[in-house]
Amino acid sequence: MEFNLSTFGLEIANFLILVWILQRLFYKPLHAIIAKRKQEIDQTLLDAKTVKQEAQKEREIYENRQQAWEQEKQAALTVFHQRLDAERATYLTNLQRELEQERQINQVTLEREKQEFQHTAQQRALKNAAKFSGILLQQTVTPELEMRLAQLLLQRLTTFDFSLSSGETAIKITSAYPIPTEFQQQLEIRFSNLCAESLTFDYQQDASLIAGLRIELGSWVLNANLKHELNSFAELAYELE
Amino acid sequence: MEARVYFDLGGLQLGISVMTTWGIMAFLALFAWLITRNLKLTPSPVQALAESIVTMIENAVLEVAPDHGRQIMPFIATIWLFLIVANLASLIPHIHSPTNDLSVTSAFAILVFLSVHWFGIKTQGMKNYLSHYLEPSPILLPFHIISEFTRTLALAIRLFGNMMSLETAAMLVLLVAGFLAPIPILMLHIIEALVQAYIFGMLALIYLASAIQTQHPTSQE
Repeated sequence: MEFNLSTFGLEIANFLILVWILQRLFYKPLHAIIAKRKQEIDQTLLDAKTVKQEAQKEREIYENRQQAWEQEKQAALTVFHQRLDAERATYLTNLQRELEQERQINQVTLEREKQEFQHTAQQRALKNAAKFSGILLQQTVTPELEMRLAQLLLQRLTTFDFSLSSGETAIKITSAYPIPTEFQQQLEIRFSNLCAESLTFDYQQDASLIAGLRIELGSWVLNANLKHELNSFAELAYELE
Repeated sequence: MEARVYFDLGGLQLGISVMTTWGIMAFLALFAWLITRNLKLTPSPVQALAESIVTMIENAVLEVAPDHGRQIMPFIATIWLFLIVANLASLIPHIHSPTNDLSVTSAFAILVFLSVHWFGIKTQGMKNYLSHYLEPSPILLPFHIISEFTRTLALAIRLFGNMMSLETAAMLVLLVAGFLAPIPILMLHIIEALVQAYIFGMLALIYLASAIQTQHPTSQE
């Protein structure tokens, strides 16, 4: 346990030198590298924070854009549905109108068919009536009735004016019964008086006339027979309806 | 235990303790240079160990003296590192631990004593620093002065006594019990060396911190 003053002083100096050496070679470099690493870490954290903030902003922008897209989509869907409803309503209206028109056309067609059917039935009934009347008259008519009708025709021919074209000089006279010679001569004289040109007469017999005459002169046809009268009655009845 | 003197240069005697101290200084300087010559942001295991040591010491200093920790950190860290290596040096055969020498431990105690006043005056100024000896009452001034000297003496004697007794006990056990018997004593030596280095450094830190921090009773509150 000896105290040495030289050792004491040298140890003090040694320690101070050691503090200087370690400060220069150990503490400062390590502090510097630790500070640099801390700075790098802080910078990295700052960069990460910046990137995070940018990502947050991008996310907000994206969310806003997505929301805007959603709103646009909803608006477009609403417009689309409105147009669809309008188109549907238009189509339905047109369809109902067309159906109504079709229904009216069908109704009109049905009415017309019904009327035609009625008309056909009436016409057929009138023809049948004329036919039955003709059969009935054929059984009851006599040559005297035919003569009476011929006489009536002859009386009416006095004021009749024929306008014949050139070359129409043949007269065809059809009767249900044979015409007596005297009456033939009266007919020829009467027609010769009515027409300036000389005429040729052809006498025919047709029992379907029932009674009376049918005279054909060029484009003229004079009917004074029961068959024609019955048909006229039927046609007149149809026209009156 | 006599201090052997190898050289005598005009009254300046170079003993075994000084030679060992130089060796330890060379070792620490070489260790520091090897570690810090190629520092990288991504540390190697050795660099990470060195950074951990420095960070751990710095945190310990900052916990005790948060305001001036960085100022006194090199002094305290050097005390710790040197005393750890110096205390463990005697584990190597034929190496004499400098802390077995009262001249060395006294030098460290005087360094702590002077540092306390140096940092106190540097931080607070002469008047403010010396005024704390008169608080809380001027009557306590002699006790403050006695306390300064006794704690310095205690620092020197505590470290010297523990390390010397430990080495002496190991030598006695080795002589009495045989070759393998001192191994538990050597394990105890390692623990005691670390504990004594820690105690000396921590007491120095507390003395320094108290010299700096006691000047700010208002700011401490």
